Amino acid sequence: MRAARLLAVAILTALLLSIPTSVSFGDDIAERARKLHFSSIVLDTHDDTTQRFFSKNFDLAKRNPDGHIDIPRMKEGGMNAIFFSIWIDGRTMGPTAIQKALDQIDAVHENVRKNSRDMMFARTAADVRKAHAEGRIAALIGVEGGHMIGNDFRMVRIFSDLGVRYMTLSHFYNDEWADSSTDKPAHNGLTDYGKEIVREMNRQGMMVDISHVSDKTFYDALEVSKAPLIASHSSCRAICNHPRDMTDDMIKALATKGGVIQINYEKSFIDESYRQASEKVSGGVVAMFDQLKKQCGDDEECLGKKMNEMEKQATAEGKLPHVTWEKIIDHIDHVVKLAGADHVGLGSDFDGATMPEGMDDCTHLPKITEALMRKGYSDDDIRKILGANLLRVMEQAEKVSHEMQAQ
Amino acid sequence: MDKKLRRIAAIFASGCLMAMSAAADSVSEKAKKLTHSAIVVDTHDDTTQRLLDPKFDLGVRHSDGSIDIPRMKEGGLDGIFFSIWMSGKVTGPEAVKRATAQIGAVREQVRKHPKDMVLATTAAEVRAAKKQGKIAALMGVEGGHMINSDLGVLRTYASLGVRYMTLTHSMDVEWADSSTGKAAHNGLTDFGKDVVGEMNRLGMIVDISHVSDKTFYDALAVSKAPMFASHSSCRAICDAARNMTDQMIKDLAGKGGVIQINYHVGFLSQEFRDAEKKDPSINEGISKEITTRCPDENDEACQMIEGDKITREFVTAGKLPKVNYMKIIEHLDHAVKLVGADHVGLGSDFDGANMPYGMEDATMIPKITEALLQKGYSESDIRKILGENTLRVMSEVERVSRETKSKK
Repeated sequence: MRAARLLAVAILTALLLSIPTSVSFGDDIAERARKLHFSSIVLDTHDDTTQRFFSKNFDLAKRNPDGHIDIPRMKEGGMNAIFFSIWIDGRTMGPTAIQKALDQIDAVHENVRKNSRDMMFARTAADVRKAHAEGRIAALIGVEGGHMIGNDFRMVRIFSDLGVRYMTLSHFYNDEWADSSTDKPAHNGLTDYGKEIVREMNRQGMMVDISHVSDKTFYDALEVSKAPLIASHSSCRAICNHPRDMTDDMIKALATKGGVIQINYEKSFIDESYRQASEKVSGGVVAMFDQLKKQCGDDEECLGKKMNEMEKQATAEGKLPHVTWEKIIDHIDHVVKLAGADHVGLGSDFDGATMPEGMDDCTHLPKITEALMRKGYSDDDIRKILGANLLRVMEQAEKVSHEMQAQ
Repeated sequence: MDKKLRRIAAIFASGCLMAMSAAADSVSEKAKKLTHSAIVVDTHDDTTQRLLDPKFDLGVRHSDGSIDIPRMKEGGLDGIFFSIWMSGKVTGPEAVKRATAQIGAVREQVRKHPKDMVLATTAAEVRAAKKQGKIAALMGVEGGHMINSDLGVLRTYASLGVRYMTLTHSMDVEWADSSTGKAAHNGLTDFGKDVVGEMNRLGMIVDISHVSDKTFYDALAVSKAPMFASHSSCRAICDAARNMTDQMIKDLAGKGGVIQINYHVGFLSQEFRDAEKKDPSINEGISKEITTRCPDENDEACQMIEGDKITREFVTAGKLPKVNYMKIIEHLDHAVKLVGADHVGLGSDFDGANMPYGMEDATMIPKITEALLQKGYSESDIRKILGENTLRVMSEVERVSRETKSKK
């Protein structure tokens, strides 16, 4: 979700300064947490690494000095299942959006093929478990934005046939059939066609992702969908009042139907003071962004780099507060208290958002496990949060699909 | 799909009811048995256009068109390449979208008929389908314009099950010349050669129907796997640019390829072509009548079905000559005499062209077997022509794909 970074301004800072990698408590919890972490299926439902596949400077197989994700760092961080996000700007629609999405899906498949010793493409929960058993990383695909089907529900089947396992109903802008949380309502939620699309997703076993959508779209989708929903990368509005985050009522309603909220690590979605500060400076940033657009054109990598530089500067100048990784734990804990440990998971937004200090890339994931253990979470609950909850929803989506196709 | 050609060139028809002369019209038990025990594969059928109408059901017998499951079963047609096609004028992302939707329509039709059909992407899967008594559905993309000069799109089509691509349709594409284009590139461009290389790697058959002679020779030089002409006939018999010269057929065969004979009357019969040329008003009349009957210019299925009816009306009116299906046999026999029975097969162009009398639909395929038997062809050679040659090319293409992949 590159645009979040752009709109919300965030800061990289981190990396160099800040936070030692492991905090020493002088007890055996650190070791127990490590063991638990590295024996679990750690699944992240949202990573924008796909954009980097189009850059000559990036190699998934090598350790890269920038960004958050590559195979060596995933191994180091014990991250063994990843949803690569298919994303283009929501203002690109129609056949062009379709072709660009197909290109990105192909790029994921090509990267998995080239790294087949370390990675396996997964279409089902069983595939994810198989990959884990073989010591390989499971690669999955999610399409981030309904605009990429070009307003043609037949494309849902095509995407599904190509291995896409969730679709976010909208991105930052409304699409033809669903309202976004960050656009002016145009459809009062989901249109009738949007509801058809949700049913088709159910039929194909593609999870319905309600990150990004308006509250009304969320409730409409919840009513229509025969399978549990996911929020692939959203946090809690009770802690950080961003429209992209979910209210307590929404989280409860999602959980009641078996769904999962996958916590997004983006600073402006997890920290209220940061969100407010970033909104104050964002006016100037929009202007700056336009200028960067002129320099970089559509080169996402160039844009990202320049934005990071700007974020660094804004932090150095004290215009934005520091946000540390423990804030992620606050959000996880908030959901657990609200809806129980069965309904929360991880949706980092790595490579597409600004990470809090101490969560500078996926090598830092074991800290989450340790922090939850220190909070007194059971091993079982921690495993659920790390990945088992999402696999449960996938299995349910598969079951609904089989039932619908048998009819 | 030579609809376009039909619209320009028109043909005839009139019907299964009248017509038919030759002795082979009564099919012997031996020919029936042989057809039904052989694996019969047709490498080019434009039925896909009809599938875009959600009301069209492949599972019921239709009174028009040439292909549906009941008639395929009756005619012993075991494997069919559904053609993904649109005019070469449609380009860019729109072409990608439409092609993808057509692929989706074929896949959906297969899902709707799991007892009768199965999607096949390899020779082994076609054989397995035959064993289960199911029709193998395969797909070919008819025209390189549909990849929009993007190898990622080519790979996507392969992932969705497409097993051949015709490098061009009747217009030049950005990287290859058509036999009916303007020779813009002097054959294949460097990118066009990359496309062929990627097809080899993916295990997609390089189809040289429609392309210019120079494009054919360029592709032949580049491709590591045998190629085929999915629906082309012999230029020595009928001088259409879309047909292959004897030398091309020999060179194709020299590298293990196959020419799949197209049943379109305008490609089979010189007499027919001459009649069209002589009186351009015939084609104009046919085109005009098609426009009247099919007001939606995007309704390709209507144009196909109505175009066929109208041309048959012109034949009935005596304005165009009647071409008999034995002309197909003539082309098959010509190619066999030239390069042997290992390099000839069937690429009907059903539902996309004008069929000769006596070959109106898939139920009539056993007549081909009968005619070849009467010519003294061995059962083994007939099996090759009916489908085994196509399966051999598929297997070879798969082998080359495996070898290319293991090298990289």
